Amino acid sequence: MTQLYGYVGKIARINLTDQTVSIIPTTKYVPKYIGGRSIANRIFWEEVGPGVKAFDPENKIIYMTGPTTGTGIPTGGRTVFTCISPNSYPEQYAWSGIGGDFGAEVKFAGFDGFIIEGKAAEPTYLFIEDGEIKFLSARNLWGKLVHATQSKLEEIHGKDVKSVVIGPAGENLVRNASVTTSNDNVAAKAGLGAVFGSKNLKAITVRGTGVVVPANIPKVLELRKKMSDPSMAPRPVVHETHHGIPGIEKPVPGGWKRAQVACSYGCNQHCMCLMLDMKSAFGEERVNHVEKCVSIVAFGFEEDVPYGGPGGPGGIFQTEQNHYPACKLLSREVDPPDPSDPYLELEITPGPGDILNFWKHDFDKGSVINDLCNEYGLDKWDVLIWLLPWLAMGKKEGVFDDIDFGMEIDVESEEFVKYLLDMIVYRKGYYGNLLAEGMARAIRTLGKEKFGDTIYHGRYSRQINKRLDLPISLESAWGHCVHWQGRGFEASIAKPAWVATNLHQMTSTRDTQTVQHHHDTFEHYLELKDDPCRSPLTAQAVIMGENKAELKDSLTSCDWQSPNLFWTDMEAQMFEAATGIPMTEEELNNAAERSRLLFRAIIIRNHGRTREMEVNAIFAIMQYPDPWGETVTWEEWNDLVDLYYEQRGWDKKTGWPTRETYEKYGLKDVADELEAIGKLPSSK
Amino acid sequence: MVEKQASRILGRHVVQSPPEVSFCAGCRACEIVCSLLHDGVVGPYYKRIFVDKGTRSMVSTVYSCQHCADHPCYLACPRKDQAMCLDENGIVYIQEEYCNGCKRCVKACVFDPPRINYVQSKDKSKRKAKKCDLCRNRPEGPACIEFCQVSCLSLSDQG
Repeated sequence: MTQLYGYVGKIARINLTDQTVSIIPTTKYVPKYIGGRSIANRIFWEEVGPGVKAFDPENKIIYMTGPTTGTGIPTGGRTVFTCISPNSYPEQYAWSGIGGDFGAEVKFAGFDGFIIEGKAAEPTYLFIEDGEIKFLSARNLWGKLVHATQSKLEEIHGKDVKSVVIGPAGENLVRNASVTTSNDNVAAKAGLGAVFGSKNLKAITVRGTGVVVPANIPKVLELRKKMSDPSMAPRPVVHETHHGIPGIEKPVPGGWKRAQVACSYGCNQHCMCLMLDMKSAFGEERVNHVEKCVSIVAFGFEEDVPYGGPGGPGGIFQTEQNHYPACKLLSREVDPPDPSDPYLELEITPGPGDILNFWKHDFDKGSVINDLCNEYGLDKWDVLIWLLPWLAMGKKEGVFDDIDFGMEIDVESEEFVKYLLDMIVYRKGYYGNLLAEGMARAIRTLGKEKFGDTIYHGRYSRQINKRLDLPISLESAWGHCVHWQGRGFEASIAKPAWVATNLHQMTSTRDTQTVQHHHDTFEHYLELKDDPCRSPLTAQAVIMGENKAELKDSLTSCDWQSPNLFWTDMEAQMFEAATGIPMTEEELNNAAERSRLLFRAIIIRNHGRTREMEVNAIFAIMQYPDPWGETVTWEEWNDLVDLYYEQRGWDKKTGWPTRETYEKYGLKDVADELEAIGKLPSSK
Repeated sequence: MVEKQASRILGRHVVQSPPEVSFCAGCRACEIVCSLLHDGVVGPYYKRIFVDKGTRSMVSTVYSCQHCADHPCYLACPRKDQAMCLDENGIVYIQEEYCNGCKRCVKACVFDPPRINYVQSKDKSKRKAKKCDLCRNRPEGPACIEFCQVSCLSLSDQG
């Protein structure tokens, strides 16, 4: 047998209904489908047809590692789940990435991934050890919080096992429930925890003693030193006196202790802030938990992130002299701007973010909120950017005057937040049950006009010194809330950037800005800034970002190290170092296009996606002003969509890829099937 | 066990800095580069340094061979000077082609957890002990130290 590098060779099909396992060779899919999400997209296309709902046994959870996972190539520890997402509105095929040590352990156990299908008759967990997969009773785990479940599994199987688990939110089919590793890494964006729960699957626990063999070890070591320029310097625990978004930190009485830790197996960065000795929601014992980005507003949400300018270090539009990955921002290792940058003054035009006044800074309460989300297994984005701001804004606008939650709505109160999340996670009463269905569904049941579209009068722009409209529900599209979209949270980005992020969101089924934060060069910005919707460069950058996102979830890599606009074949080098298979940047980009086309084909075939549907889904949120009072017109937006579809090779009328496009990327069979069901645009 | 360890004379060995100097990021780079450079693979049996990451605390402790001056692992080896050898600097290293996988060195290690790894296999010929040799043939020194992204590993002053 030929030595396989990077991959370990097997994908396990695990049927929870009849407790059977069969093996598929990974070589059935690679290298054409790279790994990770690309393989998952192919399998899902082949195996899950239209009509399947998120909680049906016919929905499949596909979990995939990538060829870099476990090789020592930085960022390869991230892996991906896909399924029909109960949290998307309407339910649609979606994905969610996760870090931790779990993915590497899966490969040490001999598997590149799993296809989990069916439904267990009773609470079950999978115990996987060196090629053997057991279905074990989870009756003694059911009901446990996330970390208690992790600890119990270690108690049963030994400290060296690695697990992904759900908490009570997943068990109770709360639609934004997450799946969690032992180090607070989560797959949270696709409601995967609820899909686990619907299958009576509490956890997957793995121990592996095998090996992963990268093809080119000197190159692996080179990448470890080169990717994102690791600091390679001591990082002590720091006693902090303040906490919050840089520039608007608030004092913390008595201070707090911060350390930095890596998110996933073998990463060469330490972007996760480990908050030490924090207040717990569940007892007197102090706990450690990690803060990445959104967690920061749990501690206080009075104003939005400041505007840094269109570019500059860490900005959306970057120059060769001044760019760095997000992990540097989060580990606070940003160098001062390089003054040799000819555009530096144009790039950096700082200004304060919008005043929002959602809730005051309360360090202990913030810790409790994060602990609740971690332990229940809930998506923090939904809680912190949608649920709590909705309650804060709606209360001030009198929207909830006739609503009785059983406790007065007060997002400033720790007791209320604990009561609220307990009510939702355990589906207590009418409103607990309703909100467990997720914000998009709950608001529509209550009545969107009043409970979603009521204008909040507490938003004030300090860019133009003016009160600006904001709806009490910060919904963007597909049942997800705003994220770098020009209004709401992280809204302080100007129109040339937010039309791009909204375009990312339009073609998705979930929040995109966790895996494809928008980036482009500053030179492009100078060309497109005056009319971003009519510039092909905007569409081009979005396509680049989308394709890079496919690669991040396929190789695997990470949104906080990729893309590097000035080292564009980084991912091809990673792939080749892991697998030994020669790969050019262009060939890898073609593989990304193929994966993206499969995703598009799935949402067209299974969920009826059309241009009309997606334009209408995203357009509404952009009718609320950005911090400069800007919106987008129907004509502008449709001109941008035209440019995007044209560059993608998709029909402008329907939004469906053409046969020529499918065939260009080796997907003739997909085109044939879509044609047979009338979902291929007619050739002119 | 603790008393026995405390009274030992140790050679130069890899040490983890206290958190006030540098906090281990838990990335496992030390384990990974160790197994890559010694065996060309990544896997739990092939590392000679061990990261114990707290499940709830996320605080990591790094365990490494202490290079005891009286080297009980070397003394326990039935094929000493062939399988388990002692170099001119007092470093005990393993020549795997002679290691018969008897595991006596692992049992002889006085530390808990033992600082010698062991490849378990149904195939007896593949059972091997794996022990830190401080990358004795590597001009750059121990790879775990070189590749630690937070420089929380260093060589002790002892020895």
